Amino acid sequence: MNDNELIAVVREQRNKVHMTTPVEQIINRGYAVRARRRRIPGLAGVLAVVAAAAFAVTALLPASHPASHQPGVQLAAWTVVKQADGTVSVTIRELRDPAGLQSRLRADGVPASVNFSGQRNLSCQRYTAGIALINRVFTAQSAGGFPVMVIHPSALPRGAGVEINPPAQPAIRVAIGLVYASPQCTGS
Amino acid sequence: MGVGTQRSDFAEFYRSSKDECLFTVLVSVGDQDTAQELVAEAFARAWASWRTVSKHPAPVAWVVRTALNANISRWRRRRREVSVSDLGTVADLYAVEGATGDSVDPRIMAALMRLPARQRQVVALRLFLDLDIGHTAETLGIAPGTVQAHLGRAIATLRGDLTPELEQENP
Repeated sequence: MNDNELIAVVREQRNKVHMTTPVEQIINRGYAVRARRRRIPGLAGVLAVVAAAAFAVTALLPASHPASHQPGVQLAAWTVVKQADGTVSVTIRELRDPAGLQSRLRADGVPASVNFSGQRNLSCQRYTAGIALINRVFTAQSAGGFPVMVIHPSALPRGAGVEINPPAQPAIRVAIGLVYASPQCTGS
Repeated sequence: MGVGTQRSDFAEFYRSSKDECLFTVLVSVGDQDTAQELVAEAFARAWASWRTVSKHPAPVAWVVRTALNANISRWRRRRREVSVSDLGTVADLYAVEGATGDSVDPRIMAALMRLPARQRQVVALRLFLDLDIGHTAETLGIAPGTVQAHLGRAIATLRGDLTPELEQENP
């Protein structure tokens, strides 16, 4: 196979995906974009931030949450519960014992990489995911003021795993996302 | 030019170029849902500025550039949760067992996604949008010689990745 034949084969692929949005929807959206530009120039940024806040599968924990330090209250740093429907609920109360959480998730069938130090596992490559996919894999809840992430392993694309990897910030943000599964990253 | 004419011009532009723009963006971002959203938004912005965009020497390049810029903004907004990796791979849409004659060949998609981001963008613009070297360079903000270098390296990598499999399949 020479280069021209190779290029032809690669080029053929562009005929195999199809944009499904009707032109009328595009045009209506375009009118909205135009109107927004004219009326409130700053609104776009505000809307973007609101949308991002609504979509992002994140949860905030106060930096100094005293959950496990209160006298008489001995909550585990995190809890993992595998439900009958195959989903896995993760409640994080304190950013401690990432290796234990990682092992537990893997044992419950979730290829996972967990790191609470703010340093990512360099073996992990982030998986490109649209918001629709993210919303299928993760749902976020709250229980007793702590973030609860429900992972739907059946929605994980082939070859993908889960990353829990809060960056080191004053307000600790528990961030979850998708990575490419590999023995070095997610254990399988 | 009346609004009706502009609208029909835009509709024709959308009809004739939407799929190639989608594939071009898909190769860059790796996920079809994301690519659909980005391209739809980019076309909407194109319609919002149609008087300008219609005079652009390569309106499809404008749309793709806008979609890719929007994707960069999305990364920043979503921080770590949804991020394009440097070495992306295919989404579940391209799982081998789900492939049909009308689906993207998962091996080709995977090989494209293994290319470094810049090489992938050059391949997308040159091979899928059929932009010439000058417009590709302008769209990506790089020198024409760099476009050629990236394309050469990308084709060499694709040849190494794909030729054995494809020749085995079609000896």
